[in-house]
Amino acid sequence: MAEETIVKDFKVMNEYGIHARPAALLVKAAGKYECDIFIEKDGNKVSCKSIMGLMTIEGYPGSIMKVSASGCDAADAMNEIGELFNSKFGED
Amino acid sequence: MAITVKTLWEEGADILSLSIIAGEQYLDRKLPETTMNRPGLALTGFFQYFANQRLQIFGLAEFTYLKSLPQEEKMKRLVELFEQQIPGIVITRNRKAPREILDLAEEYKVPVMRTPMVTMNFVNECTVILEKLTAPQERIQGTCMELMGIGVLLRGAPGIGKSETALSLVERGYSLVSDDVTEVRRTTRGRLVCWANEVTRYHMEIRGLGIIHVPSLFGVAAIRRQTELDLVIDLKPPTGDEDRTGVHPDVIELMGVKVPCITLPVRSGRDMANIVEVAALNQKLKELGHDAAKELDDKIINRLTRGRVRNG
Repeated sequence: MAEETIVKDFKVMNEYGIHARPAALLVKAAGKYECDIFIEKDGNKVSCKSIMGLMTIEGYPGSIMKVSASGCDAADAMNEIGELFNSKFGED
Repeated sequence: MAITVKTLWEEGADILSLSIIAGEQYLDRKLPETTMNRPGLALTGFFQYFANQRLQIFGLAEFTYLKSLPQEEKMKRLVELFEQQIPGIVITRNRKAPREILDLAEEYKVPVMRTPMVTMNFVNECTVILEKLTAPQERIQGTCMELMGIGVLLRGAPGIGKSETALSLVERGYSLVSDDVTEVRRTTRGRLVCWANEVTRYHMEIRGLGIIHVPSLFGVAAIRRQTELDLVIDLKPPTGDEDRTGVHPDVIELMGVKVPCITLPVRSGRDMANIVEVAALNQKLKELGHDAAKELDDKIINRLTRGRVRNG
């Protein structure tokens, strides 16, 4: 299977942005997949599997995050990550 | 839980310096209320409210009052007291028991004990012992350690490495309380106290080695008789669902008491002792009011929400 990179933009919609709890949810979701997943914002790119990385990326409420996934299960991973962003990480 | 006077005698005779002076064969009497009563008021003839189910303590006040009574009256009052079916009598300050009390004790089948202790000290010590005797108690599966004053209970399926982890902690200078089987008692303050079964105390079973005696190998500093429980650590095979931030710590209920609980995934080659050590340190920090995970989260939320205003 060809190594394809899927890239999507998501908006941070919950009230507090990507603090510890959303970061943990993202890391847990990403951790289930084999593929590499990164989150990028303002030129900062961190692994979606690193909790410390996600907490330093400054995901302000309303900011746009570029998520990229590459690997065999990238599409599934992207769906789940997208679901988390769209459901405001279960907050609000 | 009802105990007998004998239970108290067996547990407390040494600590309370008790000796029995009458009615030894009646020690089996039940002690329905596990506390004490000074029968001074009853001796004046007032029985409308009399705590007859408690151990009766004769101190200086009771003796002085009895002495002030004419012989006939004294006997009458004491008979009235024994008529109340009291469970037992303790005489403090090593006072010599009046003949009447000794005779009535035999007649009414009541054990009478004596202690050299001052009444106040006796009551304090005896309360502690009675509380211990009647506290809810359970035997649970788990290895208990004490790390820098933090009591940690390690739980997990057989073979997951509880004893090995405990052994590494002992090597790091921490103390073993119990291996694999832990007795737990709930105090009236709502704390849990852990200790080891008398028979197997301070022994450990290490797979491949068999039974070892911890203080013989590591010295007396490596053991501790009992500890209050501050943290439960569950060792489990990795599930991928472990807590990643510690912002919302788990709490479990043991014997009706809430105890912080951490689930640690065990992978081969992972130094569990190191992690348990840090978990205990972190718990100590939390008890001092410093919750690192929460503080970092608050800091991030603060930054992020300020950012929203700036961007918006």
